[in-house]
Amino acid sequence: MTNENISVSTNVAERLKVGIREGVTYPIVMKYCGHCTMPIEYCEYYPEYEKCKEWLERNMPDDFERLKIEEEQAAADGTDDDKKRQKRGGKGLLRVKKKEDVPKRICVSRAARGKKKSVTVVTGLSTFDIDLKVAAKFFGTKFACGSSVTGDDEIVIQGDVKDELFDVIPDKWSEIDEDAIEDLGDQKR
Amino acid sequence: MFKKFEEKDSISSIQQLKSSVQKGIRAKLLEAYPKLETHIDLILPKKDSYRIAKCHDHIELLLNGAGEQVFFRHRDGPWMPTLRLLHKFPYFVTMEQVDKGAIRFVLSGANVMCPGLTSPGACMTPAEKNTVVAIMAEGKEHALAIGLLTLSTEEILAKNKGIGIETYHFLNDGLWKSKPVK
Repeated sequence: MTNENISVSTNVAERLKVGIREGVTYPIVMKYCGHCTMPIEYCEYYPEYEKCKEWLERNMPDDFERLKIEEEQAAADGTDDDKKRQKRGGKGLLRVKKKEDVPKRICVSRAARGKKKSVTVVTGLSTFDIDLKVAAKFFGTKFACGSSVTGDDEIVIQGDVKDELFDVIPDKWSEIDEDAIEDLGDQKR
Repeated sequence: MFKKFEEKDSISSIQQLKSSVQKGIRAKLLEAYPKLETHIDLILPKKDSYRIAKCHDHIELLLNGAGEQVFFRHRDGPWMPTLRLLHKFPYFVTMEQVDKGAIRFVLSGANVMCPGLTSPGACMTPAEKNTVVAIMAEGKEHALAIGLLTLSTEEILAKNKGIGIETYHFLNDGLWKSKPVK
C-alpha cells in the first residue's frame, strides 16, 4: 500500500482511495504473525500479545526492532494517547480459545486380520496437525498397499508395516521425532 | 457471520463449477469491482477451474484452483473478497477507516457503529448504502474487516448513531483461520 510510516492525518484520503497505487507490485506480499496469524500491526490487539512478541523476536527480528522503536517513541511523546480519545463502554476483549494440550504422541500397533494376515493401526497423527487423508494416501503409495482413514484420528494400513513406520514417519514429517512414536505391539481390533 | 464458522463442520459440500457459471461469476465480479480488471487473471486465472463450497447458513465460498478461498457471499448477496485476498490486492474495494477505539470491537466481530466512523481518527470515502467496504483502521496499514454499509455515508454523518457497517468477515474469524480446501 502506501509507504511505511504513514502519517495518518495528512494523507488519509489518498490512502483510502480506490485504485492501483503507483510503484506497488501486486500481489502484495504480506507478513503475518505466526502466533495470532494476523498482520503484525494488529498483534497488539491480541490477548496473548506477549507471545506474539516472542514469536516476532524469534522469526522477524527486523520487524520486532521497528515495533520496539515505535513503542518507545509513543511512550516518549505522550503516553496520554488514551486519555485524549473517548473511551467506549463494554469490554470488547478478544477471548482466546484455549488449545487443548493433548500430548503429541503417535501410537502404532498391529492388529490381526484372519489367521495369517495383519493390519497396522496408526493413531495420533492429527495431534501434529497432519491431514489424515493425505497421510493415508502417502502410506498407501509408500508401502504399495491399501490404506484408509478409519476414524477420527486413526489410519489403518493393510499389511504389517509397523517397523518401517518408525523410519518413514519422521522422514516424511520432520516435526515428528522418532521418540514420539510409541509401539503398542499387537492389539485386538 | 464467520464467528462460529468451522471449516470441518460448516462446509457441507464442494462443487466443481461449470465453465459457463465461472464466466458468469467473473463477469459479476468485474461488474461489482471494475478496478479489479487489471489483476483478475492473477486472482482467478481464466484456464483454472474454480469450485464453490456450500456452507451452513447459506454461505458460499468461491475457491480458486489451489483451493484458497477468494470470495464469499451470503444467499444472493454480493460477492465479497476474503481478507487474505484483500491484503494482496487492497485497491479494488471502497475503504472506510475507523478510529483506534473501534479496532478491538471489530476484531471481536462487532458491527461498526456510526460514531466510530465519524470521530477525528476515522475517515470515510463517500459510498452508497449496501456497498461492500473494507474496514481499515487509524494508524494501520491493512484492512481488518469486510462489511456492508447499512447506511450511506451521508446518512452516517447525519445520524451518527447505531450500526453503520455490518461486519461480515474480520481478522481471526472462522474463515480467516480456515486452510485451503483440497
